[in-house]
Amino acid sequence: MSVDPPVLEIRDLHAGIDDTPILNGIDLKIESGEIHALMGRNGSGKTTAANIIMGHPEFEVSQGSVELNGKDILEMKPWERARAGVFLSFQYPQAVPGLQVGNFLRKSVAAINGEDAAKGPEFRRTLKSAMAELDMPRSFLGRYVNDGFSGGEKKRFEILQLMLIKPKLAILDETDSGLDIDGIKTVAKGINSAVRGSDSAALIITHYSRILEHVKPDRVHVLIKGRIVKSGGPELALELEERGYDWLIPSGEDSESETVAATKD
Amino acid sequence: MDAASQYLSLDEPHRANHLWRYSPWRKVHPTGKVGEIPTSLASPTLTLTSLSGGVVLAGISLEKSSGANQVLHHADAVTESFLKAITTDSAFTLRVENNFIPSEPIFLDIDTGDSPCAVHLTLDVGRHCEFELITQIDGAAPWTGLLRSGRIGEGTILNDVVIGHTDAGTFLRVDNISIGRDAQVKTGTVSSGSERTKADLRYRMGEIGGHLRVLGSILASDKMHLDHHVEIHHDAPETFSRLEWHSACGGKSRTVGTGMLRIVDGAHGADASQLFQNLLLSKGAKADSIPELEVSEHNVVGCGHGTASGPVDEDQMFYLESRGFDTDQARDTLVAAFLNSTLIAMGSETMHEWLTNHLQEELADLSS
Repeated sequence: MSVDPPVLEIRDLHAGIDDTPILNGIDLKIESGEIHALMGRNGSGKTTAANIIMGHPEFEVSQGSVELNGKDILEMKPWERARAGVFLSFQYPQAVPGLQVGNFLRKSVAAINGEDAAKGPEFRRTLKSAMAELDMPRSFLGRYVNDGFSGGEKKRFEILQLMLIKPKLAILDETDSGLDIDGIKTVAKGINSAVRGSDSAALIITHYSRILEHVKPDRVHVLIKGRIVKSGGPELALELEERGYDWLIPSGEDSESETVAATKD
Repeated sequence: MDAASQYLSLDEPHRANHLWRYSPWRKVHPTGKVGEIPTSLASPTLTLTSLSGGVVLAGISLEKSSGANQVLHHADAVTESFLKAITTDSAFTLRVENNFIPSEPIFLDIDTGDSPCAVHLTLDVGRHCEFELITQIDGAAPWTGLLRSGRIGEGTILNDVVIGHTDAGTFLRVDNISIGRDAQVKTGTVSSGSERTKADLRYRMGEIGGHLRVLGSILASDKMHLDHHVEIHHDAPETFSRLEWHSACGGKSRTVGTGMLRIVDGAHGADASQLFQNLLLSKGAKADSIPELEVSEHNVVGCGHGTASGPVDEDQMFYLESRGFDTDQARDTLVAAFLNSTLIAMGSETMHEWLTNHLQEELADLSS
């Protein structure tokens, strides 16, 4: 009997920028239908990990592998990874003045899911319903991508894209930061609707457990100095909320020394 | 003194002159022999329709006229006298009656044919009109001259776009337009044709309350050399102007954008700014932007300028690629967005849709 490979499997991943190591041997496996959380302080390498999975050209992988459904993606361009099923919800999404949201969404869905998926009544219905779920007015489609958006609008727009693209793997990089409690609930609703009950998987990167109250993770991992030092169930997020991260720092290492990766987080 | 005599009495402009620094007059002149006034220039064919191709509406007309005796304010003597001299038999007036409010944009096609040609077009726009005008210059003439002069009447709202779309050759364009009291004018330039363009665009805010936006979407590819000089003169109080100029250069092209904002003593409450932005799409492309200010009135709301040049933003590229756009698509989309951000501000949705379709054909050339 064949067993489906995990949606994401990272083995012994070492990576950095300009010869400065940031990730120092990450191992992570996320199965279909699972939501994992990656937690850690500023500078621990969380955003770097997200960018490397998405294929940011600035970072260099020196060792290890990243597989999506059993296929190594490290040699792929970012757009090839996107079309293969990787989606990154950015912590700070880029503004593109002059590019209208509606036009951008159609092009993006067409590029990833095919031309037919980006036109016709079915696409319009999906778009309308996703926008309604995220409390986004129709007029949003006429605005320029992330141009003049508030922090909350940017995050909701990232989740709108997630809901339309329906990727195999969603990486959500601090999607909760800058959101009030209502915003977190709205965004969480979008994440749950895109991932739960599907073949997709998600990796939620966050500092805090707030969003995890609304998107229940199957596993929680703690990243410190580019290494996963502890993994556990959802209760680990609550423990981190109470105790912080210092107790997880390996003895003999400086608790304040996560400065290199901090420039990238 | 007639225009020809005046031109012949002038010295060749020096390159130290702001206007001629990047495109010397002898390279713009039809024969390169600056002491000569060509006599064999043709007159282009002018056709006035609605944007959908319908017949011209009542209230607007295009008629033969004589522009030689018009007094132009703040004009460059060389180009003014030269263009007047070569258009004595090729002068037209676009007359727009008071309260002209058509239901769709007006389209003026200037077909250059395939011989060197020139035209003087006077805009005589009445009071309280509200309309959009697209002027397109197309054809295969090796040299084209266009002088647009005139006045926009009191309280008129006008969106005016000029598209330089000739196949090749040199295009000399001079605008000398006065903005009437409380008029609201947007004047856009879409430049995507010709090997060499020299444009000297001057707008005079000579009456109180005038409001002007000057917008440019410039696409240069191959070895094109597109040089636009924009002067805005605030000669009256409570006048407002904004200049936003976007140039995208590919291949071995060069774009130049020079600006001059002048606020005279007495133009209190003036509010003006100019911003040039350049997108460099290849190593061989070059863009120069030089905004200048001359402010003689201390009581102004604001007066500023800025310029920025650079390649396509890598972070924007990564964002689009992470959304499935391949590298070429991402780049083309960012170039289109960059040009669109000034294009969309030029007029109505109808006009924008027409301009966007027009621009699509040109974007492919930028990839080289």
